[in-house]
Amino acid sequence: MINSILRFGLIFILLILLQILLFNNIQFSGYVNPYVYVMFILLLPVEIPSWLLLLLSFTTGLIMDFFSGSPGMHSSATVLAGFVRPYVLRVISPRDGYEPGSDPSMLTYGFIWFLTYTLLIVLVHHTALFYLEVFRFADFFRTMLRVLLSSLFSITFILLFEYYRRGK
Amino acid sequence: MKNLLNFLARYNNLIIFLILEGIAVYLLATGNNYHNTRVVNGIRGLINGIEEKINNTRTYLNLREINENLAAENVALRNSIGRLVKRENSLFFSVSDSIYRQQYLHTSAEVINNSINRQKNFFTINKGELHGIKVDMAVTSENSVAGVIIGCFANYSVAMSFLNLDFKLSARIKSNGYFGSLSWDGRDYSHAILSEIPQHVSVNMGDTIETTGYSAIFPEGVMVGTVSDFEKIGSDFYKITISLITDFKKLHFVDIIGNMKKTEQLELEKLFQ
Repeated sequence: MINSILRFGLIFILLILLQILLFNNIQFSGYVNPYVYVMFILLLPVEIPSWLLLLLSFTTGLIMDFFSGSPGMHSSATVLAGFVRPYVLRVISPRDGYEPGSDPSMLTYGFIWFLTYTLLIVLVHHTALFYLEVFRFADFFRTMLRVLLSSLFSITFILLFEYYRRGK
Repeated sequence: MKNLLNFLARYNNLIIFLILEGIAVYLLATGNNYHNTRVVNGIRGLINGIEEKINNTRTYLNLREINENLAAENVALRNSIGRLVKRENSLFFSVSDSIYRQQYLHTSAEVINNSINRQKNFFTINKGELHGIKVDMAVTSENSVAGVIIGCFANYSVAMSFLNLDFKLSARIKSNGYFGSLSWDGRDYSHAILSEIPQHVSVNMGDTIETTGYSAIFPEGVMVGTVSDFEKIGSDFYKITISLITDFKKLHFVDIIGNMKKTEQLELEKLFQ
């Protein structure tokens, strides 16, 4: 228990630092803003109680809001992602269900499963985030393009990190 | 009572979700608009110290370029002082007369946090109320438009960047004086759109665009950019694409300009509205 709290605490700090110090500074173009910190919500154990999951998602979002000066934007997107996570897990559950006490990792459930899982949650999160950012439906398709391109990059990075984690 | 508890137990997931989402949306709704930036300020105040440290490192890496810019600016300022001294000698007036009172106050500051990749960009500068910065002062970088101060702390201020969908500026074509509304369309950090210029006006590629000073925030004649493209929209107006002079990716040393006669102008205008 203590061990896993420590482990997730470390992952949390690492991802937040990566996001703030590296990914928030990628001023590549308005179309590519990867938000890799969502990975924290992805990695939490399968059997985590939903209230804890929501609370952790909210905290993650709030900290991101602190550092990007955008009150509520990240928090509402992460809370939404935390809310849909159990449903996503149920929809894409493997044939013989989840192993008790396991993490949703590439190592346990395979690459395709992890890709689907990441894709769904990152898309939900990024869609909410980018539409909340512009807060209008003018330029609907341009915002959608931003969602898709940024998701592409976020997913790529998340898969890379997950692959690296698996290698260890 | 039992039913209520059952209900709560079954939908606790949804209820917590709604509560947290409610808080987030409340923050979003109250914190993001132009005039109610208290939440933004509160949040930014907590992390300015960290940001300044990050910025120090970044500055160190760019020292050479910064020095070159400062040297160039010094030369320009020396030249303009030379011109001013001559002119003042030839005039003959009492400086204590309030008509000759200085209208714009300038001070310089350093940008310690900036972004260009969002739709609503803000930047933080390292001067605040203690240095006389106030809300609604203009921010320029190398004498071209950069943003407007929207919130002040003791030692820091937050400015709305020109690269913000909510930023509107009254600007005109320097050669013929026709003015329109300038705003950023959220696409590209180096281009903006000037609208409301009627089609009978002649517009040329490369025309200079400058501020009008109608808003009482920016002084008249601050450079914005040059015309890089224009097309006719409908039968009345042009849609003119402006290539901005300010490089927001490199925004570092900025000037803050306060209009000392602003209240006078606004009060007068209020009388006739």
